[in-house]
Amino acid sequence: MGFPVSLRVDDADVPERAADAVFAWLREVDERFSPFRPGSEVACHGRGELARHELSEDLVEVLDLCEHYRRATGGAFDVRPPGRGFDPCAVVKGWAVQRGAQLLRAAGARRFCLNAGGDVVVSGGPWRVGVRHPEHADMLCTTLELTDGAVATSARYERGDHIVDGRTGRPATALLSVTVTAATLTEADPIATAAFAMGPEGIDWAASQPGCEVFAVLPGGRVLRSEGFPVGEGVPRAA
Amino acid sequence: MKRAVPVVALSIVGLIAVWRYEPSAAPADSTAGPAPAASTPSGSSGSSSATVVKGTTVTTDKGPVQVEASFEGGRITAVRMLQQPDHPQTRAAVPKLVAQTLKAQSADVDTVTGATITSDAYRTSLQAAIDAKGA
Repeated sequence: MGFPVSLRVDDADVPERAADAVFAWLREVDERFSPFRPGSEVACHGRGELARHELSEDLVEVLDLCEHYRRATGGAFDVRPPGRGFDPCAVVKGWAVQRGAQLLRAAGARRFCLNAGGDVVVSGGPWRVGVRHPEHADMLCTTLELTDGAVATSARYERGDHIVDGRTGRPATALLSVTVTAATLTEADPIATAAFAMGPEGIDWAASQPGCEVFAVLPGGRVLRSEGFPVGEGVPRAA
Repeated sequence: MKRAVPVVALSIVGLIAVWRYEPSAAPADSTAGPAPAASTPSGSSGSSSATVVKGTTVTTDKGPVQVEASFEGGRITAVRMLQQPDHPQTRAAVPKLVAQTLKAQSADVDTVTGATITSDAYRTSLQAAIDAKGA
């Protein structure tokens, strides 16, 4: 998948190897679940070489999550959209990073912030999380405050039209960005992607998911957010 | 609390069933100390302080309803629906959305969420600047 991962742990008594274990886990996930590695379990399954009963427990869990969100979105979120190959990245990433956060907790970390390519899990906050402005890479469009939880953003400003509406097979282009907060990244990441794939109706849908809040930017500079979205104080940056 | 109205109403229906159990379970002579978790109607969780109690199934004109309540001491800490009728009133209400205009701001933050970025884009990103400051 190839994205930068930043980890900050504030607990003094957590050994460095706890962080190493998180990075090792994420590298392992990339080996096993990248659709771009011909030998990975995901690539083999995508080519029909592995039947469901031959899959690892982890991939079965991922496939079940994929199916859950496909049904919940009326097919807009689909890891096998028409005319395209099997690509469960939108579920794998959040699931894997959330498990990385659980490894940290198991190692005794209480106050940490894990950012995997823009998807964030925090613990023991308050943490101030900025939401990247969809049109200006060096600016934010809002800030939010999270104590324990996760936040994910889907947009096409980084990798172009890569999110496909599974109902049509066409790229989703009706929103500029969707940011979702949830208890875990296992939820926030696929819900943000699914809402983006659904388009404007996805904003209501994401906001009605249990424990989720949403901040969506529409073309023309309009923002729609759920009432409970934890907007932060927005402390001006120190000069 | 998007489902506040219907869920709270139904939870109360279920909790009445839970509460109804209490008097019969309480011993007449209460000098024997705190009632054991086993006196609750249908089992408890294994954890030390929390007790999970399932209510009986209550038949309503919309269908069967059953809730499960978690107690810590005498306080209810969570209520979960075990059964609920498949009826519009029990489905998620459409949440209220707030409209505003897009603003560009710079603020002092601990981390930045955004669409998945490539390693190349990372080099010039806000997150890289935050990481550089902390390193």
